[in-house]
Amino acid sequence: MVHVLGVQLPDYQYARFALTAFYGIGHKTAHRLCARLQIHDKCKVRSLTPHQITELAAFLSSPSTSTPIPRFPLATSSYKPPPASTPLAVLKEETKKLSQRAWADPLRNIKIESEARRVVKDNIAHQRMIGSYVGKRHAMGLPVRGQNTQNNARTAKKLNRVDRRG
Amino acid sequence: MLTLPVRCQRVSCQLLASSSTSPLVQTRSYATQPKKGQIVKQASQGFKGKKNTPPGQMESAKKDKKMMAFQPLPVSQLPHPLFESDRPDSLTLQSFHPEMLTRVVESQALKFPHNDNDPFRIFGLPRNILVEFRLLSKPCSVIRSVTIDAINKLDAASEKNSKESRVVFTGPQGCGKSFLLLQALQYCNARDWLVLYIPRATNLVNSTTAHTYDMRTRTYLQPIFAYQTLQRFLKVNTPRLEQLRTQTGIEIERRHPVPPGTPLVELINIGLKDQGHAPTVLDAVLEEIGKQTIFPVLLAVDDFQALYCKSHYRDQHFSAIKSYHLSMPRLLLEYASGRKSFARGAVFGALSMSNTTFPLPVELREALSLEYDRPYGQYVKRQQELVEYAHGLERLAVPSSLSVSEAASVFEVWMKDRAVPSKPNDELFLTKYSEASGNARAFVWKGLLSSMSA
Repeated sequence: MVHVLGVQLPDYQYARFALTAFYGIGHKTAHRLCARLQIHDKCKVRSLTPHQITELAAFLSSPSTSTPIPRFPLATSSYKPPPASTPLAVLKEETKKLSQRAWADPLRNIKIESEARRVVKDNIAHQRMIGSYVGKRHAMGLPVRGQNTQNNARTAKKLNRVDRRG
Repeated sequence: MLTLPVRCQRVSCQLLASSSTSPLVQTRSYATQPKKGQIVKQASQGFKGKKNTPPGQMESAKKDKKMMAFQPLPVSQLPHPLFESDRPDSLTLQSFHPEMLTRVVESQALKFPHNDNDPFRIFGLPRNILVEFRLLSKPCSVIRSVTIDAINKLDAASEKNSKESRVVFTGPQGCGKSFLLLQALQYCNARDWLVLYIPRATNLVNSTTAHTYDMRTRTYLQPIFAYQTLQRFLKVNTPRLEQLRTQTGIEIERRHPVPPGTPLVELINIGLKDQGHAPTVLDAVLEEIGKQTIFPVLLAVDDFQALYCKSHYRDQHFSAIKSYHLSMPRLLLEYASGRKSFARGAVFGALSMSNTTFPLPVELREALSLEYDRPYGQYVKRQQELVEYAHGLERLAVPSSLSVSEAASVFEVWMKDRAVPSKPNDELFLTKYSEASGNARAFVWKGLLSSMSA
């Protein structure tokens, strides 16, 4: 079992699926996250390296302040790599020179867990504050989106409130 | 049609026969025998099972269930005397020996040799063929006219540079391209070639193995796949590799360079000790065996078209990674295109026309002069890199239908193995042959094994 930011990720699950355990991360965001961390589709959580787990935790703790990753240069068909004894510093320098600036990264705007729940709470609180129909329905604990109340409406009666849990 | 469970029971019956005091000995190379102490678990069913069983046990039960496809039932589950077999094994086949392979043995079924360093066992097999070999009592194949053609090409290639012998087997689905590649592989292995076989090239591009960007090569390395390839290459070719030494010094990251004159086995072991070194070592090993002229080299790739398709990998910005930016496909493409070559040897590939995730791309189709399946005008984009990588590939068309004598041999193999559920007579043979219009896979799977007639 791997614990990342308070969420337990089972070892036997694919990492791409396990990341959806976070509130605010669905399948598309999980796929993008895995691509960012160079985790292939069929990688299980138990195969993640400690470095990848640390990077994941570091990224998810604050996505908006993460360092942007440049676009690394890719070999053309005629490219001949330098010998393996080339110092790492030289390779880093060359890669940095040839790397292109990254475009806008949608992952930097994601909100997970408490931040995402706060967004939902704030939205409902705003609706209540401005006195809208949606706000009133949340306050009454009734369906908001025009559903029938003669029958059913059980979920809304159970869950809808002004400080509704996200 | 419930032929397959019956088949599994039939095979177990043979195992039972071998374990009993009867004089029969039936050895199945691909049958699994329950290991000592191994208990076959049944997956729990229903919610009760899920609640009570801990997650680890459920997972292993699921895994057993998945792996049990086409595996024989354990002998302990077949105590009934009905499963005893006292009939002698009627499938006697000659062994696949390179000296025998001439036009004389065309349309004859020959069994593949079984030894410790069998390339099939070590490199693996394509999925369809693996299933077929699990059902048959011994792995065998029918020698066709196209087999003799391929073998003649190999004999010619053994004296030439591999740049001049880059052949791709083409044909409709189920016509026998993968089987032909296996026959070529076995022939080369028996003739003392160095062989490297990639049975499922789709696994290189379908995002099932680790990838990591490398600044030096500017590609995404696949260290685990490279490590496994090295391991298998060493195991199959050990006696030949022990005679070879490096001709130049080889540099490896974070390590002192390997001096010239080092045995190739030692070089491979460096890659096996540290997975991080595996891609560099694999590159170096293939270059070294490309320089030597003692042993010809065969590089055989099944699902060859997958190397030219878009991969399922995504880079850190979620753009698709091209196949030639992944280390393993790039390596194979370089040998397939002739940019790198072996001093003696050949590169053989077999297309897989039944894979819809990795269909035949237009660049490869045009390089092999195959007819189009849909209109491709000049406005359809062709990737220039793939056009270059596909340049110079030679096509060997596998006939779409088996000849009557070849089909008769196939029929005889399954009949003598007691796998045909219907009564095996001429009428059945001709009916199923006509229904399949000679297509090998349709004849065996849809014709013989899937139908039952009184």
